[in-house]
Amino acid sequence: MSIQIENIRKNYGAFEALKGISLTIESGELIALLGPSGCGKTTLLRSIAGLESPDDGHILLHGEESTRTNAARRGIGFVFQHYALFRHMTIFENVAFGLRVQPRAERLGRKGIHDRVSELLRLVQLESYARMYPEQLSGGQRQRVALARALAVRPKVLLLDEPFSALDAKVRKDLRTWLRRVHDELHVTTILVTHDQEEALEVADRVVILNAGRMEQVGTPEEIYNHPASPFVYNFLGNVNLFHGRLLADLAPAGSAGQPQAAPSIGFVRPHEFEIARTAVVGSQALPATVSRLNAAGPLVRLDLTVADAAQPVVVEISHARLRELSLREGDQVYLTPTEIRVFSNTAADDLVDFGSHI
Amino acid sequence: MNAPSLSERLVRIGLIALALLSVAVFLVLPLITVFAQAFAEGGKLYVQAIRSDAVLTALKLTLIVAAMAVPLNVVFGIAASWAITRFDFYGKQILITLIDIPLAVSPVVAGLMYIEVFGLHGWFGPWLAAHNIHIIFAMPGIVLATVFVTFPFVARELIPFMQAQGSDEEEAAVVLGAHPLSIFWRITLPNIKWALLYGSILAASRSIGEFGAVSVLSGHIRGRTTTLPLEVEMAYNEYNFTAAFAAASLLTFAAIITLTVKKILESASGIHPRAGQEKDAA
Repeated sequence: MSIQIENIRKNYGAFEALKGISLTIESGELIALLGPSGCGKTTLLRSIAGLESPDDGHILLHGEESTRTNAARRGIGFVFQHYALFRHMTIFENVAFGLRVQPRAERLGRKGIHDRVSELLRLVQLESYARMYPEQLSGGQRQRVALARALAVRPKVLLLDEPFSALDAKVRKDLRTWLRRVHDELHVTTILVTHDQEEALEVADRVVILNAGRMEQVGTPEEIYNHPASPFVYNFLGNVNLFHGRLLADLAPAGSAGQPQAAPSIGFVRPHEFEIARTAVVGSQALPATVSRLNAAGPLVRLDLTVADAAQPVVVEISHARLRELSLREGDQVYLTPTEIRVFSNTAADDLVDFGSHI
Repeated sequence: MNAPSLSERLVRIGLIALALLSVAVFLVLPLITVFAQAFAEGGKLYVQAIRSDAVLTALKLTLIVAAMAVPLNVVFGIAASWAITRFDFYGKQILITLIDIPLAVSPVVAGLMYIEVFGLHGWFGPWLAAHNIHIIFAMPGIVLATVFVTFPFVARELIPFMQAQGSDEEEAAVVLGAHPLSIFWRITLPNIKWALLYGSILAASRSIGEFGAVSVLSGHIRGRTTTLPLEVEMAYNEYNFTAAFAAASLLTFAAIITLTVKKILESASGIHPRAGQEKDAA
């Protein structure tokens, strides 16, 4: 089922949670709504589900005006951040709930409900837990039950509100891979709300980046990662070095990034987008730096470099092979050259509250 | 904890002794007196006193009043806590404060207020008299007074409990297509049942024991509008000590039953004193 969102606005008192969001989601797509807390992503998701009513704008489900349709009649599956399982019911009854409360005419018989619930418990690999209660399950298992419960009524849209954020890192990774598999199997239109950029970029067909109630960028994970539309997106995706003032002028001389240097600007360089050398090549734009920390635990070697005049250390990632070539140690002097630099004029960066510490 | 020093041990022993002594003097001794006085003239007279018409009708009235006041409180308590914990509306804080009024106002004042409203010279008095409806000095007045003093008990149990539980489960049920009534019976009620029962027990115990407000509204017509607490006072004023203490012993039994049920509920449900701490066990 396709979803059209037209100019949705929502205020809570003086706080504007959504400032006019328009978005079209194709049938069968998996979309991630990504943004920091308070950006409006959960409000938008709850508006689509009918758990919040927008102050203005329209929501069309499958082309049909549904802005004021009761949440119970939207045919939507919703997965909550804290699972929201019915604590006094067994896992079986939790999954069966949506089937049992259907109007009498559409309701499945006893056998039909049993078969459907068993089928779903098999899908989420929890068949042997049918008689247990939610409190006897781990967080990851509970969230799988919540997903089975949401899918039981064959929803046309599946909405997930930060479904994995309360789980630990390993379970979170497993579950998001698994979610993608389930989505590919069922082809149900899915919207995933998350503040974890890695999760969004890994799982979604398209990513919508929200900031302070507005959309910053919509695109495939590749587009978002390789062509961030604004300083906010660049910064939010994380793992980035930020330069401004004289340092930027040194690194990106006028014309090199296609941006006029007259206005004060800021530039972003990702950790792997640096050349690092022992000696400065005459006439190049290399920046002298000192290795303050070296961490070789992981697929790449992470270097923290101190640069004169920079408030934050510059983070650079190099391969283990390159580290051996350079035979670097902490305290060594090196020269840095960015291979890629993205420059934004400072006015575009006004909404960047905090410039540093996003590595 | 390390082995306590001598002075620490003395302080501890002293405090425990003080607590035990106060409990003995102020709680246990009077309780024993009630039964001692009730049986002072022999078990036979005690049984006779209890089986007297005055005590039996008072007991019956007391139970009927409680049986009417508690369900009214349950309905009101659920409605109020539902409204307060599930919706945002103008005047919510005022409503929360209003619920507590009966705890702050002396029950006698409550009784007088009802006389002012429903009494013969009150606002609705002439109209009620014209339609031959008796509220003051009759059972409806006693029920009204009891509902007033027990008003906060169920709501005050439920509000913090429902706040701690949140509305996630109800929202999940809505999205799954459940009807509001179905959500109430299948989700809300099972979740709040222990807290609800606990609040009802407190309300029942208070209804049975209420004196002040009921005293003003009852008119003390023996055999018709006296409840057990009123009967205790009336018999005592008539120097009929056996009857007074026999009625008092019935109230004491009621209190003991309440305490026992309350204790059982607490351990069975775990709602007190841990209410609200169990929500994020993940």
